[in-house]
Amino acid sequence: MPALLEGRGIAVRFGGVAALKGVDLSVDPGEVLSVIGPNGAGKTTLFNVITGRVRPTQGSVLYRAQPIDKLAPFRIAQLGVVRTFQKTEVFGALPLVEGVAAGALARNDPDPAERAREALATVGLYGKAHLTAAQLSYGDQRLLEIAQALAADPKVLLLDEPASGMNHQESRRIVDLIVQLRARGLAVILVEHNMHVVMTISDRVIVINYGEKIADGKPDHVRNDARVIEAYLGAPQAAHAVAR
Amino acid sequence: MRGLPVAAALIVVALCAVPLVVHDEYFLHLFIVSGVFVIAVLGLDLIVGYVGQLSLAHAAFFAMGAYTSALLFVRLKWSMWAGLPAAALLVGLIALVLGSVILRTRGHRFIIITVVFAELMKLVATNWVDMTRGFMGLPGLAVPPLWIPGIGTIDITAKSHFYYVVLFAAIVAFLLCRALVRSSVGHKFVLVRENEPLAESLGISAFRYSMIAFVVGAALAAAAGSLYAHYVGFVSPDLFNFSYVTIMLIMVILGGKGTLVGPALGAVIFTFLPELLREASHWRMIVFATILIVATLFMPKGIIFPLITHLVPRNWRLRNARAA
Ligand SMILES: Nc1ncnc2c1ncn2[C@@H]1O[C@H](COP(=O)(O)OP(=O)(O)OP(=O)(O)O)[C@@H](O)[C@H]1O
Ligand SMILES: [Mg+2]
Repeated sequence: MPALLEGRGIAVRFGGVAALKGVDLSVDPGEVLSVIGPNGAGKTTLFNVITGRVRPTQGSVLYRAQPIDKLAPFRIAQLGVVRTFQKTEVFGALPLVEGVAAGALARNDPDPAERAREALATVGLYGKAHLTAAQLSYGDQRLLEIAQALAADPKVLLLDEPASGMNHQESRRIVDLIVQLRARGLAVILVEHNMHVVMTISDRVIVINYGEKIADGKPDHVRNDARVIEAYLGAPQAAHAVAR
Repeated sequence: MRGLPVAAALIVVALCAVPLVVHDEYFLHLFIVSGVFVIAVLGLDLIVGYVGQLSLAHAAFFAMGAYTSALLFVRLKWSMWAGLPAAALLVGLIALVLGSVILRTRGHRFIIITVVFAELMKLVATNWVDMTRGFMGLPGLAVPPLWIPGIGTIDITAKSHFYYVVLFAAIVAFLLCRALVRSSVGHKFVLVRENEPLAESLGISAFRYSMIAFVVGAALAAAAGSLYAHYVGFVSPDLFNFSYVTIMLIMVILGGKGTLVGPALGAVIFTFLPELLREASHWRMIVFATILIVATLFMPKGIIFPLITHLVPRNWRLRNARAA
């Protein structure tokens, strides 16, 4: 059986910079795949390719065995491949329900407001539905982003550093939420620098370094991989975290 | 909340009473012209206020509607009743073609291309002499009689009669735009305006929804242009002058973009105000351009709509909160 989402030999060049050099990946329903690697490794670029914002120079992305790498971002989202952004993106001026309804409106759901409230309830923001996005704290805005994506009814959910800048308690909420989404059968692709989060919830981990995939496997396997430890040597804290 | 329909009904009644109270031809003329501008400016609010693209082609759509209707009248003897829908349709189609190219661009590029398009259309109107008579324009346009079933044929050439045609058209345009912005389509307009990359990432085509606003807006401008042409009885390339788009933007932006009501009020106020300040006609455009720049920089919500909402009781405001 083909994977739900599959990337084959994805390569991206920005002028002289090779941001990705032939990366393969695949993810199935009910699976959490983490993508880790040092700053500038190409993780966000990989998300941009999968969601249609950046065209790969080489390689392809298949969703349910169909190529999606030539489709516009909004089409890919409508198919069920939905992402959040590394830099917080919300509809700041709008009441939460109106912004979160976007994904439901986009697929012509008969009751977008209801879908929005469900998504807000899932991430625990139902009680703040009367506020505008701009009135939320940073941590709540990051949860709101996940609610926005959920209202689009994703089959594959790509989260770009959802726990960045969060305190321990807030990142626990993110972990619980991802576990809950996996139990619902979503395929989750996670980019995250917090190694504790990655090692706790990933079913599989791929490691990218300078645009190249250097490891792929179970968290335990990747943690002990010599190349991974070497890649993180430039960043002692991360190396420490990986080895831990 | 319940007061709102009553207030709306009172306003409509008051507007219907205008020709009964105002006998001065000049003031009636200003009411008719403001009605024409209301229609055009509602269309502009869709594109500038709701999807958030600054189009400077709007006055050109207005002028193209006027010319289409005028040419159909002069060359083919089509009355305004056929010319107006034809103008709206044709200009809507032209906007569709233009939009399919320029709505893929954003920001300053979009703005510049809309200016270039408007100038190009002016050149066509000026230089295609065989068709448009160039600078001489097309005179002799007439207002057709109106046939109402059960009542018969009415002559509407008098200002006090034509006023009702424009009032009716403006109300229809308002209700149409209001239905559009309150629908799921209008909700998507606002999402695109508020955060385009995010809306796209959630499955909304910014291109498609900008296009809907652009085309509907252009068709409304053309309908307004057709009414205007038959009312004044004459079209010339002056209709393409940049001052028209400036005044329309003043109406939308100072009125309160993205509210429909604000720009509609803006259309009335900024039709009357310049006329009342005639003495200073040389300074008019300079003063207005300055007001426009200052307002754009410091009053993003405009002046008129925020003012009204402050005067209106608090519980009425909520309904318009989403629109604002
Ligand atoms: N649009 C772009 N144009 C040019 N270069 C780009 C573009 N996007 C990314 N890059 C470059 O591609 C490389 C990979 O960037 P990317 O953002 O994918 O890294 P990342 O792994 O997400 O890093 P971080 O952990 O800091 O978020 C970097 O060298 C970056 O400067
Ligand atoms: Mg990144």
